[in-house]
Amino acid sequence: MRRALWLAGGLALLLWPWAAPPYFVFLASLIVVNAIVAIGLNLLSGYTNQLSFGHAGFLAVGAYVAALLTIHAPALPVVAALLLAGLATALVGLALGIPCLRLEGLYLAMATLAFGFVVVEAILNLDWITRGNDGLRVPVARLGGLALASDTAKYYLVVAAGALLVWAAANIVRTRTGRALLAIRESEIAAQASGVHVAAYKTLAFVVSAFYTGVAGGLFAFIVGYLSPDAFDVFLSVDFVAMIVVGGLGSIPGSIVGAAVITVLYDTLAAFQNYRPLIFGVILIACMLFMPGGIASRVRFPVLKGDNA
Amino acid sequence: MSTAALVHVVVSGLATGSIYALMAISLVIVYNATRTLNFAQGEMLMVSTFVGWTAHQWLRLPLPLIMLVAVVAAALLGWLIERAVIRHSIAATHFDVLIITLGLSLVLRAAAVLAWTHDEFPFPSFFADRPIALGPVRVAPVSLGIIGGSLLLMLALYGLFRGTRLGRAMRAVAQNQRAARLMGISVERVYSASWILAAVVGGIAGVLIAPVIFLSSKMGLVAINGFTAAVLGGFGSMPGAVVGGMLLGVIENLAPLYLPSGIKHSVPFLLMIAILLVRPSGVLGRARRRKV
Repeated sequence: MRRALWLAGGLALLLWPWAAPPYFVFLASLIVVNAIVAIGLNLLSGYTNQLSFGHAGFLAVGAYVAALLTIHAPALPVVAALLLAGLATALVGLALGIPCLRLEGLYLAMATLAFGFVVVEAILNLDWITRGNDGLRVPVARLGGLALASDTAKYYLVVAAGALLVWAAANIVRTRTGRALLAIRESEIAAQASGVHVAAYKTLAFVVSAFYTGVAGGLFAFIVGYLSPDAFDVFLSVDFVAMIVVGGLGSIPGSIVGAAVITVLYDTLAAFQNYRPLIFGVILIACMLFMPGGIASRVRFPVLKGDNA
Repeated sequence: MSTAALVHVVVSGLATGSIYALMAISLVIVYNATRTLNFAQGEMLMVSTFVGWTAHQWLRLPLPLIMLVAVVAAALLGWLIERAVIRHSIAATHFDVLIITLGLSLVLRAAAVLAWTHDEFPFPSFFADRPIALGPVRVAPVSLGIIGGSLLLMLALYGLFRGTRLGRAMRAVAQNQRAARLMGISVERVYSASWILAAVVGGIAGVLIAPVIFLSSKMGLVAINGFTAAVLGGFGSMPGAVVGGMLLGVIENLAPLYLPSGIKHSVPFLLMIAILLVRPSGVLGRARRRKV
């Protein structure tokens, strides 16, 4: 049964570009990118109870690093660009995490909120490399001699990266590290008493989270093809929080479902821009009041283990 | 740079700093009662200021009455939010309440956009525009007014916290909720009072700052600097909030004189990171021990 579901899901993912019109291929790529961010954020928030309101900032760092690398070193294969984008973002996460993560979760929430604004400000002010408000055109990603120019090619790139990262996350949460993170969520003091180095593990979770978001940022740059700072405002960070709240805190399949739901909802509500934050706000409040475990607490996912909601 | 110009910069820094201080006080009042951050504080300020402005547009009320309308609206909003939403999540973790207040801030801002659009509106001011000269120093009356008004409000709050039964109850709940309950204090009532009081402080801050930064659905963002101010002074400490706010305002205004111009908006953030690295308990805060 499990194997059949895996097979069907994998086939559906692989055949999607042939079944759906181009716009839906793009939308599917966007869902996968958002799912990677949501998984990264969930490793932090769902597993250690640390909330970040700055993941749009991390996404921006990853996107601009990947884009600038491809502009200035066109020979660089896309895999290296994505990896470097992830590493650069992880480094930023480390610098931000060290002062904040020794303290209560509130401090991280506040610092990351401010961080999101600073990243946008920095992109605007470093216009000699980022081109500020004019925006940055991202060249086509290259893999060896292959140019990944079509929506379908980009889709396969995104899906491959996404599958790898989902697999990695599912393994992280099953190991000693995953258990340590869960222990921190349940009680920091009890975890500490059991020999878990709370600050180190929280920092680790934050760095991994930033890495995921950085890679997603690189993918985002390639599938969208154009970067400008206003795409990375604080509301995007809030959307990421909404994804994991709706999908289920501490659940990897939940993150994916949440990312899909919010991305599709966002797209559907494009014509009702003024109502969108209203609806998202109500969803956030309602989820917390009536369904704190998100969708993952109501639906059993037979496919993935490592579901700790 | 001349001393007179420097004084001018410091005074306008103290004026914005007063507003940050009031925001920080609102955040700390709610934090001390419910141990959670209210991400909707800035949006509550924005909505109550808009209500005051609407009363002004419809009825041509004089400014003190606008202030009164805004304060009453803020109090109602604070009471309503606490009663309708926060009270239901009393058993939830702080993490959950954080997300709920985040949702509230989205809802309030979207509602404000629907009611009052994205535009910026001029807001009537208590004070004249012409700068007054004090010897060689020229200062804007608005700055002095904001500083004076904020200081008066802070004094009133000090009196409330020290001198009244409600203030004592609020301080008791901040110290130890269970002990406070055992002493016969209604913790629920303190929750309500805290949300209302925080909203009222925000409402007054909104009317004071609106003539300077213009009234718009985006003005709630001023709360972000309130977070920084509260952290600077030591989160949870009332005097710390005041000192942190003033410090932030002055540093933010002085920084562009000595640092590259693009950095002004990043100063609060850099300051927050610096203080968390060096002295996480803030300038005035005492290190709090964590309890199980």
